Amino acid sequence: MSHLKVKEGRRKAPLSPWKSANPKKAAKSKKPIEGVASLDHRFGIPFIAPFFVIFLIFGLAPVLYSIYISFYKWDPLGGSTFNGVQNFVTLWSDSDFWLAIRNTFSIWALSTFPQMAMAIGLAVILRSKRLRGASFWRTIFLVPNITSVIAITIVFGQLFGRDFGIINGILGLFGVDNIDFIEGVVPSHIQIAAMITWRWIGYNTLIFLASMLAIPDELYESASVDGATKWQQFIYVTLPQLKNTITFVLVVGTIGGLQVFAEPQQLAADGGSSKQFLTLTLFLYNQAFVNNKYGYAAAIGIAITVIVLIISTINFLITRRISNDGSGR
Amino acid sequence: MRKKTLFRGSIAVSTAAILAAGVLGTPARAADPVTITIWTFGDVIQRQLVQEYKNLHPEITLQIKKSDLDPLNGTNMVTACTSKTGPDIVAVEVQYSGYWRSYPKCFTDLRKMKTSEANVAAGIPAGKTALDFKKNYLPWRWEQGVGYDDSVIGFPTDVGGLEVAYRIDLFKKAGLPTERGAVGKLWPTWDKFIATGVKYNSKLSAADKKAGKGFIDNAGTLYAAIMNQGTEKYYKNDGTDTGKLIYDTNPQVKKAWDTTIKATEAGIGTRIGQYTSDWNIGMNKGTFATILAPAWMMDYIKQQAPDTAGKWDIADLPGGGGNQGGTQLTVPSYAQHSQEAYDFITWYLAPEQQLKVFKTYGLFPAASVLYNDPALLDYKDPFFNNAPVGKIYAEGVSKVKPIFEGKLQRAIDQAIGAGLGRVAAKKMTAVKSWAQVIVDIKKVINN
Repeated sequence: MSHLKVKEGRRKAPLSPWKSANPKKAAKSKKPIEGVASLDHRFGIPFIAPFFVIFLIFGLAPVLYSIYISFYKWDPLGGSTFNGVQNFVTLWSDSDFWLAIRNTFSIWALSTFPQMAMAIGLAVILRSKRLRGASFWRTIFLVPNITSVIAITIVFGQLFGRDFGIINGILGLFGVDNIDFIEGVVPSHIQIAAMITWRWIGYNTLIFLASMLAIPDELYESASVDGATKWQQFIYVTLPQLKNTITFVLVVGTIGGLQVFAEPQQLAADGGSSKQFLTLTLFLYNQAFVNNKYGYAAAIGIAITVIVLIISTINFLITRRISNDGSGR
Repeated sequence: MRKKTLFRGSIAVSTAAILAAGVLGTPARAADPVTITIWTFGDVIQRQLVQEYKNLHPEITLQIKKSDLDPLNGTNMVTACTSKTGPDIVAVEVQYSGYWRSYPKCFTDLRKMKTSEANVAAGIPAGKTALDFKKNYLPWRWEQGVGYDDSVIGFPTDVGGLEVAYRIDLFKKAGLPTERGAVGKLWPTWDKFIATGVKYNSKLSAADKKAGKGFIDNAGTLYAAIMNQGTEKYYKNDGTDTGKLIYDTNPQVKKAWDTTIKATEAGIGTRIGQYTSDWNIGMNKGTFATILAPAWMMDYIKQQAPDTAGKWDIADLPGGGGNQGGTQLTVPSYAQHSQEAYDFITWYLAPEQQLKVFKTYGLFPAASVLYNDPALLDYKDPFFNNAPVGKIYAEGVSKVKPIFEGKLQRAIDQAIGAGLGRVAAKKMTAVKSWAQVIVDIKKVINN
């Protein structure tokens, strides 16, 4: 969940700024395009080189290196021995790995879907013409996003405290016994999902808001002429128009969901006494930096990559189907 | 006007004087400026003493970087030792000493270092190696800073010790004795401690029980306390570097596990995790009447529950002396200023300095020569009802025997801790949870 990819417009090819800047000169010249192309060739590579150099050093090289060490029993201080695919065999039969997959997807589902529903709801409120101080609210919605995860965990730890937490206090008013959020499987996932939701909901609200503001007013006008209530307008006009945005938020949310690390790590570094909130990345981290099993951790990293590839493929297929579907229903 | 000129003139003169002093003074200067980088955590390095050292040695800058314990003694030190770049001094906590003792190559062997003339005036003679200082410290604490090849990798700073901090007012309310000698006699053994807890809980009102009150903050803390009263933990010292794993056969492990389970099932603990927000609140609210407290925890209690001053007291730990925590200051092999670092450590950890640390922050010195010193023995802490904390902790730590720690001790401790947590949270039976512990430990060892 790092940045928004701005979709290119419907232009077929980017216009050359030189051409448009001086069309007369371009027309006079015998081979106008060649000159530009040769300049591209000469200066293009140095211009893009910084990115590629940095990517090669800090991106590709570590990836290749971790593939290499995943075939070793690798301890940075104790030396290393080649052990073939043993790390992967061990991983496949390691119950912790499957537990981590379960936890990761459970936390992902709990943090993505309720959040999306709430974000759309909040976006509707922010879009409302009756709302005063709209820009103030829009700005303040981003504040959770720039708050440190550590601070969030401390505050939520107090909210969800078993004995003195506010949430158990409120539940107690309705006669519910204190819930031990950290020890339970689902309660601990809810606590983590709540932190993620709180942090990202504002961001997603603004994305939904932006795409709602792009819906032409005529659609609503004709809907109300047809006698549609506000709710019907929301269901039949707003939601279908948000289809692409929902897909986008889902894709970004999935990538983020597979990387959930700091929240569970802050709750309990080992992922809980029954490893009830051990996520994939936390599992990897603990194997590498707590148990000093770098080879095994590299194998986990590759497994995560495979999972991401599978999910990306599914995402890609779904996205393609939606865009082939046409714009609306 | 005239005044101003005079003033300006004096600046010019003094500037010239400084310049002259600087130029002329260069050859005579004692030492070049040196920056010693120290990686530490918590209160191991005290600010006042750092200032004192600065006054002694203006040419030395102590650059202190604090981080959380786990990344510090885990990732950061592994990275530093692998890349051979890093600080001049690192504080290694005893939970990690088993691990780092098996990698002496990452540290400077302090047997080969000699103190310089730098601190002669402060009472540290020149030309002394680590072995010359050994006699000043508790023998079992000294061992925790000795590598498996007998090299000395670190000097002990403090020793945790372990005693029972209890609330006088709550004991009185429950009809228990309140005087620290009588309280200590309530629990010569852990079984008696649990029985006292059951008795305390039986006196609690229904409302108190519903509010989650109990005798001890967390029954799981019994485990580490009992383990450290033995002579062996998870490794047997069989003369090899690595030792032999005995976690599944050592009767001490079984005893500690069973006693902790017994305490958990008797319900004497509140199940509040230590260092959580609930713990801090509970300390203020009197949710629990006892904490198994190392010396360094006294300061934590003072900070978190200042309003409970005078309501606490310290009694002996059941089953003899105990220990929890403590730190060594080490000089890594890649240190750039190992001589200056060694000089600082020998000064900082000298008994005189450690006595100051104890009086300000409650960190109990590992310098055992102090244990006969009236300045330590007569020290009373008003927060703890004027308990002679110096004397109590000195007696406690003197009973502790050295334990052969192994490389994976911390990982095994964590697996067992998680196992106890599962039982406390009623997620598993004790038998099942122990089986899971064995599986988890085997994974750490084998995978």
